Amino acid sequence: MDIAFKNEHLFVGDLGRLFVALAFGGALISFISYFFATREQSLSKDTSWHKMARIGFWLNSLAILGMGACLFVILYNHYFEYHYAWSYTSRSLPVYYIISGFWNGQEGGFLLWMFWQAVLGNILIRKAGSWEKPVMTVVALSQAILGTMVLGIDIFTARIGSSPFLLLRDAMEGPIFQNPDYLSFIKDGRGMNPTLQNYWMVIHPPTLFLGFASVVVPFAYAIAGLWQKRYKDWVKPALSYGLFSAMILGTGIIMGAFWAYESLNFGGFWAWDPVENASVFPWLTLVAALHVMIVFKNTGHSYFTATFLVLISFVLVWYSSFLARSGILGESSVHSFTDLGMFWHLVLGILIFLILSVYLLVARWKELPITKKDEDTYSREFWMFVGAVFLALACFQLIIFTSKPVWNAMFGTKMGPSEVKEYNIIQASFAVVIMLLTGFTQFLKYKKTDSSRFFITTIVYLVFAGAVTALLAYITGAYKLHTVYILVMLTSIYGVVANGKILADSLKGKFKLAGSAVAHIGFGLMLVGAVISAGTSKVVSENNTGEQYSAEFAKEENPRENVLLYRNEPIEMNGYSVTFLGDTLEGAQHLFNIAYERKDASGKLTEKFLLRPNVIQSQDGMSSSPDTKHYLTYDLYTHVTMTNVLQTKPEEEKAGHDAEQDDDKNYDAPMTHEVVVGDTIRYRDGIIVFKGVNKQAKLQNIPLTDKDVAVGAQLEVITHGRTINAEPIYMIKNGSAFDFPKKLEDAGLKLRISKILPEKQKFEITVYQQPESKKQFIVLKAIQFPYINFLWAGVVIMVIGFLMSIFRRNKELKTT
Amino acid sequence: MKKSSIFGIIIIAIAIAVVISTYSNSSTYGTFTEAIETKAELHVVGNLNKGKQLYYDATKDANYFSFFMKDKDGKECKVIFTGTKPQDFERSEQLVLTGKMIGNEFHASKILMKCPSKYNDNKLNVAEATPKTANL
Repeated sequence: MDIAFKNEHLFVGDLGRLFVALAFGGALISFISYFFATREQSLSKDTSWHKMARIGFWLNSLAILGMGACLFVILYNHYFEYHYAWSYTSRSLPVYYIISGFWNGQEGGFLLWMFWQAVLGNILIRKAGSWEKPVMTVVALSQAILGTMVLGIDIFTARIGSSPFLLLRDAMEGPIFQNPDYLSFIKDGRGMNPTLQNYWMVIHPPTLFLGFASVVVPFAYAIAGLWQKRYKDWVKPALSYGLFSAMILGTGIIMGAFWAYESLNFGGFWAWDPVENASVFPWLTLVAALHVMIVFKNTGHSYFTATFLVLISFVLVWYSSFLARSGILGESSVHSFTDLGMFWHLVLGILIFLILSVYLLVARWKELPITKKDEDTYSREFWMFVGAVFLALACFQLIIFTSKPVWNAMFGTKMGPSEVKEYNIIQASFAVVIMLLTGFTQFLKYKKTDSSRFFITTIVYLVFAGAVTALLAYITGAYKLHTVYILVMLTSIYGVVANGKILADSLKGKFKLAGSAVAHIGFGLMLVGAVISAGTSKVVSENNTGEQYSAEFAKEENPRENVLLYRNEPIEMNGYSVTFLGDTLEGAQHLFNIAYERKDASGKLTEKFLLRPNVIQSQDGMSSSPDTKHYLTYDLYTHVTMTNVLQTKPEEEKAGHDAEQDDDKNYDAPMTHEVVVGDTIRYRDGIIVFKGVNKQAKLQNIPLTDKDVAVGAQLEVITHGRTINAEPIYMIKNGSAFDFPKKLEDAGLKLRISKILPEKQKFEITVYQQPESKKQFIVLKAIQFPYINFLWAGVVIMVIGFLMSIFRRNKELKTT
Repeated sequence: MKKSSIFGIIIIAIAIAVVISTYSNSSTYGTFTEAIETKAELHVVGNLNKGKQLYYDATKDANYFSFFMKDKDGKECKVIFTGTKPQDFERSEQLVLTGKMIGNEFHASKILMKCPSKYNDNKLNVAEATPKTANL
């Protein structure tokens, strides 16, 4: 059955699929040619394999650019006949989010990964020199395997990979696709998940994927070192790339944390979510690997550990994509993808690199330069090695705990996901050991150190760090935390001061060591910031304003963290007077204006600012992102957890058309008051003062004759510190009485002169007030994060440290 | 004994401790019946009973939300959550609750929901679409 579908743009998809095939073909040719080029290296002067390998790789790179261009055309022009465009974008999406729509789906993620790997491959072709052939064999292999992930072709009954150029009518089933003109019914795409509509989502994924992709370079060098039996040489070039990789991956992870902090409402920067943890695995092993590589380079010790850690890092990159993409996390993660039928494909990806690593290690085992001699106890290399092993152990714990769904699938157990508390305590314990080592190892020299002098320096600095910690813990209130967190603070500060000494020394001449010192200082500050900020963050939107620590640290978990705010009715919260002013629509954003005011003892306004958390409606869902006021020492974080504004909006519009008596249904039973001028009427939210009578009241559209009378009652409504004037009117025209009530939407009031009693000189005023539930309200959660700037500053300093180290290692590479 | 072997033994001991602690420390998935028996914290997977009342009134208490859920065995239980009603709660296809039994009510400290729109959705919902001709 062939249907001639109308209005489809099939060319761009066909072109895209052609590029997909070319990319895979190019990578495969490149891999095979590099493999033979490496083997024949010494035998002949024939360079044809080498040439073909390069051409294959270039073809692959161009095809990836082509794929990217085709996908962009599809997304930019809203070709909803493509499943990818329909699933992740919509017409109302601004252009910069179209870019993030690019990597919204798994296929786009793979595309991004391939793109970075192609960029790195081209750099290696230019720079790697004698290493090019073996190293590029591994990179091309990885590129070819990634290529299969986006193939999307059916072989027999199995589908290999998932293509971003899949048509909607092929991806889904529905009677609608029997209609040749089905596209005219698909007006818009499903749109982007609202939590992803954030500027961090434009830069976080490319950074993270560059980090993931770049782990292949040290891996390829390690494999090439084993393969070509160049056991010692591979470390130097791999070190620079490894530093780069750790820097970018670390930045990418923290950007994700920042995104979570800025736009997700789980109230923090880290939640030990399986997908977050998975991105940390390779970073931990890579950082451990870098330390051991330096040990090996300087002393010749720990060859096996260095190689092993580099190899496992890349295998963990694959394992982490398996966790995120195979759907195995299912119930335990908020942001994992579903299975695109690539479960075993991803497993195969892990196995290929695992088996390759194990095979080469076993085959070369006897030749490996493993030292028999023990390191000296008072040597830097020994303790660097110990530190690296503890980093790897921390990673091991994360893997074992995060992989619970995997163990459940393998062994049929029913373990629930680990609690945040468990992760916090266990990882904090590892951090204590690691930071202690980061501190005192600085006072040791390679090979051998004078032990008595070492102990004196170590202890002096430890005492100093203790004093700083005590002061900081007192100021921030962190002393109330669990002992292990205080130890993390102590050892982190110890690490910071010890490395501070190295930095100070380096400025006097030993500039080489500055990079590592700066990176260590940054890491220490980051941990201090994380502990203080997460540990002493305080929900300020509580009804009972007692000291309450965040749920994960609290002993008893029953925090009542949300408070109700009616529109224009201020409440007191942690020294601020907080008012919900109303909502504004700005493009796709639905902003809620919340005013914070702080007054000093005499009632003078000292501070005033507006926070505008956002609530987006998309994909038939509602998603709320917080807004944060940044101070130097703390952040005030506010988000809307619930509101009736979105639901009541359409009702209000309807009310305008309905008859008057229907409108009364929107209010509570009216109260009538007989009043004279000067009287005060009390009502639930304030008072109404009858100021005077306006005998010349005028009404628009209604001309009055001499016989007609129109009287206005000048009322002053005082509610929640605001004064509003209102003038309902009573009119007698042609012998009949009419009254024109006055509505005050802001105050939820309707005022009406129901009768005039001339004999008593009194007015009968009827007050209608909206029931509490009809008034616009928001439910708000506000959290105070103290000293979070330590965390962000630490990250920036750490990245600077990494950069300095990369420059140093690159210099060494050139001079030798 | 060599120093490195002592160190190696320590490392292996820590690794074993980690593996054991995964099993002993972790709460498990279970049913409401098991939750009544153990009284300990548990993860319960089930479906929202859309026929019964979801109670959340921010104007009365912004931190009280109750509903009824059926677990995998079909046992129904009232659930109380201290917090606001999660967005799109009614649309959820599956719920994973973390919490424990207090009396006859399950007090959830965490709710994880699966909504159809976020996950596999192989049905296309287009309101106006009613195919007229399909014979070509």
